[in-house]
Amino acid sequence: MKIEFEGEALEARPGESLAATLTAQGIRSFRTTERGAERGVFCGMGVCQDCLVEVDGKPNQRACTVKVDRPMKVRREGSGRALAASCPAAGRPPITIEEIPVERPQVLVVGAGPGGLAAAYAARLAGAEVLVLDEGSAPGGQYFKQCSAADVASPDAQHQEGRRLIDDVLGSGVTVRSNVSVWGAFRPLEFAATKPGGSFLVQPEQAIIATGAFDRGWPVPGWTLPGVMTTGAAQTLWRTARRLPGKRVLIAGNGPLNLQLAVELVAGGADVVAVVEAAPAVGVRRVREIAAMLANAPRLVADGVRYISTCRRAGVRLINGSVLTSVTPHSGGLRATIAGREAATFDVDVVCVGYGFHPSNELLRALGCEHAFDPEQGRLVTVRDTRGKASVDGVWALGDCTTLGGARVGQAEGTLVGFAAARTIGCALSAEAVRLEAQAAADAARHRRFQRALWQMYRMDESLRVRPTGDTVMCRCEEVTYGQVEAALAEGATSPGEIKQETRLGMGLCQARYCGPALETFLAEQTGRSQDETSGFAPRVPVKPVSVDDLSSPAGA
Amino acid sequence: MHSPTTSGTLPREIQTVVVGGGILGQCVAGFLAEEGREVAIIDAGRPEGTTTNAGSLHVQMQSRFMRMHLDQVPALESGLHLYPKAVEFWFELQRHLDADFGLKASGGLMVAESREQLDFLAKKAERERSLGLDSKILDRDELSQIAPYLGPAVVGAELCAAEGRLDALKANMALRRWVRRVGVMVTGETSVDRVSRDGERFKLDTSRGTVRAATLVIAAGPGSLALAEPFGLTLPVESEPLHMNITEPTDLFMGHLVQHADRMITVKQLSSGHVVIGGGWPADLSPSEDYAVVRLSSIIGNTSLAQHIVPAIGGLRIIRSWAGINTPTGGPGILGPIHGAPNAFLAIPGEAGYTLGPLSARLVADAVLGRRPTEDLAPFSPSRFR
Repeated sequence: MKIEFEGEALEARPGESLAATLTAQGIRSFRTTERGAERGVFCGMGVCQDCLVEVDGKPNQRACTVKVDRPMKVRREGSGRALAASCPAAGRPPITIEEIPVERPQVLVVGAGPGGLAAAYAARLAGAEVLVLDEGSAPGGQYFKQCSAADVASPDAQHQEGRRLIDDVLGSGVTVRSNVSVWGAFRPLEFAATKPGGSFLVQPEQAIIATGAFDRGWPVPGWTLPGVMTTGAAQTLWRTARRLPGKRVLIAGNGPLNLQLAVELVAGGADVVAVVEAAPAVGVRRVREIAAMLANAPRLVADGVRYISTCRRAGVRLINGSVLTSVTPHSGGLRATIAGREAATFDVDVVCVGYGFHPSNELLRALGCEHAFDPEQGRLVTVRDTRGKASVDGVWALGDCTTLGGARVGQAEGTLVGFAAARTIGCALSAEAVRLEAQAAADAARHRRFQRALWQMYRMDESLRVRPTGDTVMCRCEEVTYGQVEAALAEGATSPGEIKQETRLGMGLCQARYCGPALETFLAEQTGRSQDETSGFAPRVPVKPVSVDDLSSPAGA
Repeated sequence: MHSPTTSGTLPREIQTVVVGGGILGQCVAGFLAEEGREVAIIDAGRPEGTTTNAGSLHVQMQSRFMRMHLDQVPALESGLHLYPKAVEFWFELQRHLDADFGLKASGGLMVAESREQLDFLAKKAERERSLGLDSKILDRDELSQIAPYLGPAVVGAELCAAEGRLDALKANMALRRWVRRVGVMVTGETSVDRVSRDGERFKLDTSRGTVRAATLVIAAGPGSLALAEPFGLTLPVESEPLHMNITEPTDLFMGHLVQHADRMITVKQLSSGHVVIGGGWPADLSPSEDYAVVRLSSIIGNTSLAQHIVPAIGGLRIIRSWAGINTPTGGPGILGPIHGAPNAFLAIPGEAGYTLGPLSARLVADAVLGRRPTEDLAPFSPSRFR
């Protein structure tokens, strides 16, 4: 299939994302900011809003979520571009909320990752009527994301495992709707959503929130440059479209996902120059953790061992105890600098950063569900009872959006929450369901033990945290630097709210998802004040930008 | 979001205390401090506005308000002359502070969708002209010349030259810096529970202890009702939570403040390129009643109406909604000395309070300083509510 980009014809694979098409052609800069900086794919999952392009005259479309399913005309997005091309001659007739269709399923599940799918399957198995809404173009979430591009290589084991779960869910009579953005949640229990072409509301009896997590930012000089992307973004390019982020790749981060990416990119023919891991090398001191991991998830340990040996065979350098400290443009590519146990520079096309995740808890917070601050993780954790019920009536939460535990924990929690929510509305569990529930409880406990040992082993040395320079960008959207935040503090601003008013930090399209946590860490360092559950910015609806056209159109059946 | 660090030290004794740190309280305090007064602001929430205003500069009469409250039209008209002066004063204050408020006064359009609505606007414009406003009616062709972004449903409009907009974030930031620079003590998250006389002074019982002051200025929006009661006043102030929406930024394509002859709406574009959609759609009060929360029906209804009038925004995305509390007074503002209570003053601006804020504050500050205010304060006297 052919698409047009800035007047040039490009070959695309039907079904792949526009970001994948452009990246495969070596195009890394997708838009120019107000200050003239270039941006491209960063999060690869519709969160950061940095890969905005104009598609067929429609401004500000996220290339990572636009599916190439037709020939399209694409232009780079620029700051302050005229609206003329997209301007309809006449507005739609004004509507009120009464004209927006309302759905009233027994159980609503938001998110079709491993946890959401498992919850939907369990609730349905127990006899509940279940609706799943998911922002992705196909169910699976970030972990089980399926290959969307046609005519590319056969699915691997992870794809296949996801496929089976998806098929089970679809076969069980659950309604799954993809391409749906759930952008608002209101008390007592109402959700606002848009699908292409219109808005609808959902008033479920029970709501299960399984919105997962997004990659944490790594604010160092140059982290906004096109070609610097999250490990998740690079993996999505590969796992959904079998596209490489670039030819020469450096991967830097903390955790095993970075190794998995290295193996996948090597298999795809990339030259992965190194995987720079922040945690120290695994030594004999870690025998307890390794034993715990082996006891609880031997297959995952085997995967890990295989990743390491594959990397070694492919000549990928494995560097421990070091972190990425800066990225600069360098002769058409990027020059990445690392420091720590090893100091080095690498000249590459692409730098992948994978320094962990933040929970996507916006809907839970918008509903007013209680959260507690976990100083260990430096994040909010959703307060839940032992069954997974949040503090607001009818709201259940599971998986990474509550606290980070990975796909396996999420999937097991999903089964438990799905059954529990179904019980609440009067469903009785069959003997088979009761057996699955017990199995899930055991799995959840087992994988939590595995995760604890894993992260003990991958605990990064805090002294490696990079002290950002004054001109390092903290807020990607509004282009606010650490220096500007320091100046605001010097002007007398003290709270995040005042810093927001002074600098516009956090007021952009991504809704402070990257700069919010960065500001919290910075303020804690600067003021010595510890963070707590009242820190940070209050969630604002819409939690994801929603088009005026979609808001003004009742969704068709 | 509140953070304890917004609370400054609460003084025990102060020459002048201003209760309320919104646009009025900030400006009154700033003007007084510039004259050498020792001033403290006490705010129940976050000073310099717990929420941010949408930034419309209103001058012409709101036609929907006129239809809903026909009885209040004479009262509204009696204060109308203040609005163009208030917009002027915003510019003066911007110059005075050497700041950038993102001010623009390139006119406000109140659009009509029918002959009947346009006839109504014609009568309104005539009345406003007789009261000194620069208002005129434009037909569709004239309108297309100056506002090509308006949708085909619009048949004509009233153009009021003095109207416009500002970027409230920028303005609030500049005001905050100014107030600090001139030495005002600012204390947040402190509620004033009771005000009483203590000899020559006022005694304020607050959530963080007692404050005594020689001069008291009540600028607490809806909270002024309880504070004014000990002085024998029953103020007709209400707490009106209002909803606002904002789009992602785009090129500057609309320069006017756009309103509707028959429906609640304001649409304008800030200097940053963001389009702000508001105009009186309802929000809700939080269960604790001290802040406002957005309402889903207002996100949909307000935004949908905006794209009907300005179709070009259809392709933009709403990136945020927020809510604030308006303080209707049932007519003109309540400004000036409380008779029978020497050294006690009220500062509540009335309809479109943010527009009127700085000028109203100047008038009250002059009264506090014993100067003759530039406007006759009689129509705004608190004594009306004794």
